Amino acid sequence: MKYVQRLLGLLPALLWLQQSFAQEIRVSGVVTSRNDAQRVPGAVIRVKGTSHGTQADADGKYTINANTTDTLQVSFIGFQTALVAVGNNRVVNIALETTDSKLQEVVVTALGISKEKKSLGYAVQELKSKDIAEARETNLVNALSGKIAGVQVTNSQGSLGSSRIVIRGETSIAGNNQPLFILDGIPVDNSQLGVGTGRDFANAISDVNPDDIASISVLKGPNAAALYGSRASNGVILIKTKTGKDVKGGFGITVNSNATFDKVLILPDFQNVYGQGAGGQFSYKDGKGGGLNDGTDESWGPKMDGRLIPQFFSKGEAVPFVPHPNNVKDFYETGYTLNNGLAVGGSSEKIDYRFSYNNTKQVGILPNTGISRNTFTASNTFRIAPKLTLNTYANYIRSSADNLPGVDGRRGNSVTLQFIWFGRQVDVSRLRDYKNPDGTDYNWNHSYYSNPYWIQNENTVSQLRNRFFGNARLSYEILDWLTANLRIGTDYYQDRRKYKIAYYTNGTPFGSYTEDAYMVNETNGEFTLNAKKQLSYDFNLDVLVGGNIRNNRFEQNYQQAPKLAVKDVYTLNNSRDPLISTSSFSRQRVYSTFGSAQLGFRNYAFLNVTARNDWSSTLPVENNSYFYPSVNGSLVLSDALNIKSKALTLLKIRGGWAQVGKDTDPYQLINTYPFNQPFGQYPLLTVSDKFLARNLKPEITSSTEVGLEAGFIDNRIRLDLTWYQSNSRNQILLADVSPTTGYLKKLMNAGEISNKGVEVMLGVTPVSTRSGFRWDVNVNYARNVSKVVELDKEGFLNNYVLGSSGNMQVLASKGQRYGALYGAAYQRDAQNRIIVNADGTPAIDPNKKILGYYTPKWTGGIYNTFTFKGISLGFLIDTKQGGSIYSGTNYTGNYTGVLATTLPGRDEEHGGLPYYRSGQQNIQLPSHSATAPNGAEVHHDGIIFDGYTADGKKNNVVLGAEDYYKAVYNSSLNESSVYDASFIKLREIKLGYTLPKTLTDRWKLQSVNIALVARNLGYLQKHVPNIDPETAFNTGNGQGLETLQIPTTRSIGINLNVSF
Amino acid sequence: MKKLLIPTYLLFAIVLLASCRKELERINKNPNEPTTVQPDYLLSNGIKANVDTYWGPDAAMDGTLLYVQYWSKIQYTDADRYIAGATGTQNVWSNFYAQGIEDFTTLAQLGDSLHNPNYKAVAVIMRSWIFQQLTDLYGDVPYKQAGQISQYLTPVYDSQKDVYTGLLDELKQAAATVTPGSNFIDGDILLGGDVTRWKQFANGLRLRIALRIADREPAIAKTVFDEVTAGGAGALLPKDAVVKLNYLASPNQNPVGRNRETRNDYRISKSVVDKLKALNDPRLSIYATVPKDTNVIIGVTNGLPSDSAARLGFSKTSDAGAVFTATTAPAVLFSYAEQQFILAEAAQRGLLTGDPLTLYNQAIAASFVQYGLSEAAAAAYAVQPGVAYDALNFKKSIGEQKWLALFGQGVEAFTEWRRLDYPQLKAAYAGALGGSMPVRFKYPSSEQALNGSNYKAAVTRQGADLLTTKLWFDKY
Repeated sequence: MKYVQRLLGLLPALLWLQQSFAQEIRVSGVVTSRNDAQRVPGAVIRVKGTSHGTQADADGKYTINANTTDTLQVSFIGFQTALVAVGNNRVVNIALETTDSKLQEVVVTALGISKEKKSLGYAVQELKSKDIAEARETNLVNALSGKIAGVQVTNSQGSLGSSRIVIRGETSIAGNNQPLFILDGIPVDNSQLGVGTGRDFANAISDVNPDDIASISVLKGPNAAALYGSRASNGVILIKTKTGKDVKGGFGITVNSNATFDKVLILPDFQNVYGQGAGGQFSYKDGKGGGLNDGTDESWGPKMDGRLIPQFFSKGEAVPFVPHPNNVKDFYETGYTLNNGLAVGGSSEKIDYRFSYNNTKQVGILPNTGISRNTFTASNTFRIAPKLTLNTYANYIRSSADNLPGVDGRRGNSVTLQFIWFGRQVDVSRLRDYKNPDGTDYNWNHSYYSNPYWIQNENTVSQLRNRFFGNARLSYEILDWLTANLRIGTDYYQDRRKYKIAYYTNGTPFGSYTEDAYMVNETNGEFTLNAKKQLSYDFNLDVLVGGNIRNNRFEQNYQQAPKLAVKDVYTLNNSRDPLISTSSFSRQRVYSTFGSAQLGFRNYAFLNVTARNDWSSTLPVENNSYFYPSVNGSLVLSDALNIKSKALTLLKIRGGWAQVGKDTDPYQLINTYPFNQPFGQYPLLTVSDKFLARNLKPEITSSTEVGLEAGFIDNRIRLDLTWYQSNSRNQILLADVSPTTGYLKKLMNAGEISNKGVEVMLGVTPVSTRSGFRWDVNVNYARNVSKVVELDKEGFLNNYVLGSSGNMQVLASKGQRYGALYGAAYQRDAQNRIIVNADGTPAIDPNKKILGYYTPKWTGGIYNTFTFKGISLGFLIDTKQGGSIYSGTNYTGNYTGVLATTLPGRDEEHGGLPYYRSGQQNIQLPSHSATAPNGAEVHHDGIIFDGYTADGKKNNVVLGAEDYYKAVYNSSLNESSVYDASFIKLREIKLGYTLPKTLTDRWKLQSVNIALVARNLGYLQKHVPNIDPETAFNTGNGQGLETLQIPTTRSIGINLNVSF
Repeated sequence: MKKLLIPTYLLFAIVLLASCRKELERINKNPNEPTTVQPDYLLSNGIKANVDTYWGPDAAMDGTLLYVQYWSKIQYTDADRYIAGATGTQNVWSNFYAQGIEDFTTLAQLGDSLHNPNYKAVAVIMRSWIFQQLTDLYGDVPYKQAGQISQYLTPVYDSQKDVYTGLLDELKQAAATVTPGSNFIDGDILLGGDVTRWKQFANGLRLRIALRIADREPAIAKTVFDEVTAGGAGALLPKDAVVKLNYLASPNQNPVGRNRETRNDYRISKSVVDKLKALNDPRLSIYATVPKDTNVIIGVTNGLPSDSAARLGFSKTSDAGAVFTATTAPAVLFSYAEQQFILAEAAQRGLLTGDPLTLYNQAIAASFVQYGLSEAAAAAYAVQPGVAYDALNFKKSIGEQKWLALFGQGVEAFTEWRRLDYPQLKAAYAGALGGSMPVRFKYPSSEQALNGSNYKAAVTRQGADLLTTKLWFDKY
């Protein structure tokens, strides 16, 4: 503290030194925009006719020494240059008129530094608060879908799950490929904990309340984000929150209310002709094989033509066997989200403040699912002393769910599994009373499933997350060109889940109870020094140096009562068997120093360099320090060559090169011995199945990017082109090795993957009239080509498994595009015709093949907006083209005969062929009316698989429909269920109306805005039947495997925003 | 002054940096798991984990128990129709190698470093037992280079002959180094730390392997029998001893018991029921249960299509007996009964001196006693025409009776059936092998990707990687 006082004491002396050179006066003031009274940080103030100048600070304030006879020339991008005479005024406030140009904007860049967009040597794209808050997505990540070139979002299933975001393709073969989220300068966690537990828990960034967001800036990869270090190789999403400064007129209250309704967008197309059973036969006795095929959970049974058959509800009596076409549809409910928020904010000379509260209640489309969230934020700026500012931001979130929908196709918790293994005659409404008087479940089947309502109401998973994140930043303006910042931020949460499986649940007769608790914490302390100086009339310099200490802590406590002693009591004490318990802790620390410098020449040529060194605890001491630089530049040709005109409003070229190092997870160096559950009194330790590596090196990603920005015809056409290439090497892979080595996995440090691509953003304003009507079209397009260059130095590893579903694997395969779907294929002859076995079924190639890639070839979006006075209408169409998906819904539903696609060939009416059985053989008959020899039964469901025998003859063996579909669609033949995942989706329609000022003034309101928003309206193109091709099951790299998804939802909502 | 200050700062910075680095290293010490292991914990784990694999769903229930027609399936009949699931063959391979070979290799090293030869001997015996299961099932397998990841990331497959003969050497060495009365071992959940019993088990395995290769390498087999019998009666399992793991209550229950807690997919095979009935064998009521709806034991034909299997009725067909399906049922690794069958056949083949008939009858009696029946009942049973020892067709007598005695021990029964070609079994009703029966497991498909060239070499040497490719030991 004494030092600070001393330093403060020195300052007047320093200032006096400056003053003593001339008979000048010290002029200060605030630069604002005349349009909206907002302050203009970064405005350049010059004494006209000299090279003497300064820049306005973050609050738009400036101080300059000038003669009383001087004229100040104030300029800033996006504003017309203003000239103001100094006179005898010590305080000169300047209001700038805006220019009409949209391209000349200020964007938030790494470390939260606002920079003129034209000075940047890389692509950057921003979303403003309106785009995020109105089209309210419950998962923040979804709001980025389709709007930003090169950003790929994979939406959550149902409306409650996780969403995955990847920028410019996957740069890590095995590691995390999602970007780093930075909120007001501090990293916030976006991990998805508890993957593979039968629930798709939302990724952690979905905690952030969209109402609090002022802007989102997307830094696409190392070129833009190198300053952030290790975790920036996948890009950075920078979130800037709203502050009291954003409030107009000193004090304001904003109320935001939103109601959104969700309906199932797509359900499988079921057949309604044949009911439960096998071989055309069914009769219910006990639902577990006691009757005729009544344990069978497939729909290869009798025709649902009203014939009389005992069914699950009929107590042995034969009753009409009839279809219930909406039996699955009726199970789903209308989900809704209610969102209410209140924000109070204001600003005065000394303080800016904003407090907000938000409550979100979301109810899912599956019965008894939902989540509710309360968010409290406080954002304050204290101008403690003229040069000392304290910013604080605090956010507390309590997110709680009584039950989340089950996924992963597990019997105990996934109803989508049960509906795709189903009796099409089952009347789901009869299952609503799911419990028998004795407490057991009442269901259509007892060999595999519990009642779907039982699953929803009894086998629940609850979640409670308490989260705090926030930061405090102290800024001190040492000199008018030198600022010091100290920032401390933390993100801390506790996340507890409780898994209940009820007594009598099928397959788990005693039920179970599990508690799974996590603690996640990241703390960052950062110090920076920032110098901005106009070196001469031509040159300005902006230098930043700093250091950071990051600490991560993670803890998991898992306890399970594997069998309950007493039913309906869910505590860990209530256990028949010893508890299964695990706990794990981890810590990580990274020290960093970094620096950046920007040299500007005449405000049209800019050179930026950055450098950073990290020391990570996760790497061995000899390799734990790693340095990486970046350099980029931009040249505004239209200014430099003075060719600016109405036709060509902007022409800029840019380019750069960057490198980023990356560490690994904690504890990857020294082998350990894991515990197994004790055998009676004997504790068990085993040799780990992972062989770790003592000599890990950091992963290195290098990236090159060049681009061009142009504006034409008064900026009615705006173009931004980017070409990039990145290469990541020394990738740390926990690779599968032959178990014969004694291990299943070995940690390696050799993988290499490259990505290159182009991004195009085109904005056109076809119509803009004097009356205020305006039509904007924004198009974005991105193509990314990835290639797995190498997996290990020795070259014996050809594949790295990213994920799998049965036989089907998702691979990073050497020499291939990332995300290959590798599975069992049809065996084909030299003419590429499918070979058929002697029994008429398709032959399976003994060697697995690559059947597609989940990564799309290109993505794009078109956003149209029409504005007229207070009305705006926008709609977004987006697309992903050229990826593939392996659909579990399709292969299962075709196998079980529930899908409409299994109707062809099932009877004469559906094109089936006549045949009779002779021993194990089917003999085709010439017509349906023909009789079979020896009075054998004539079947009418014959199908011939379209293929050729090994010796080249056209296949002519007839299969019964059930045998046919089971031979083509099963877990040992994947090719038949791989589909083109390309789609074009009508993603969003938004109609907004801002009440005219005359009206709001009369009501003494600041503004009133109403918006109608519809999302996920439908497909304009889709190739895969029965499912939504863009569903994520988790946020990992093993995508492209659809395993009985919960249907995607279509949502329609209304948003009301009132400011007082 | 200034000149002095700079180096001081520099020094200070260097010290600070060095201490930071130490701090980073300390942070990265794993607090969750130990970095060293004690031998008894490793031994307990190795036994439990590998006996689970041996007796579990992949090696036994959906594999050998069906192939050798002890069990059959009434639901999900694919496995019973020789449509092997990809995961089953992978699990057996992965578990045996990554849990078994690695745990016991580490234990053997610990035995050396702790100067406790008994730990080492037990580790080598268990590891040999695992390798024997592996080669019995797959044929050529990585052996000499297995479990040494630092040197061999892609271990070479050894021929089955090299594996068996290598195991004979290792077992001989292990049996010789056992020191009863000193160097106590702990954590022995199989034999309670009785190293003499371990030695007898090792010798039993030597005899088992020697007989296995007798069709191919009679001279080697003869030497082994000579060496083992030279050790006198104490070298072999005493009368009615059984090497078995006694399972405990849940969660340490028998894998079969665990399956039966929630599933109802398996039945006893019609083949074994018919044989037991034909021979009026009292073990029938122990091996099989009486179904709920009938009072007759009814087996299910192997390899029925799913719908016809299910139509037989869950409550009208018999499951395996409680001795096998109970929570605490034991898993048998080796028994006196098997030992006497081995000796009987060896005597018949002239590999040792002895009376095959006496040994054969001892073996049957031992099997009866193992399942709580009397020796008298065995004696009466053994004189029946279908049972009585036939020296002229010893493979039939021994093959059938050994098959009945080994009930439940899928891997060994499957292997001995292949070697002796008795009992004569009919392929699964709707089998997927064109009327043939499986005579091995397929290698897991992961080997193609992860150890490709060695895999290819093995397939070239051994024959196509199919269920129907005969292994080296299976000469006839």
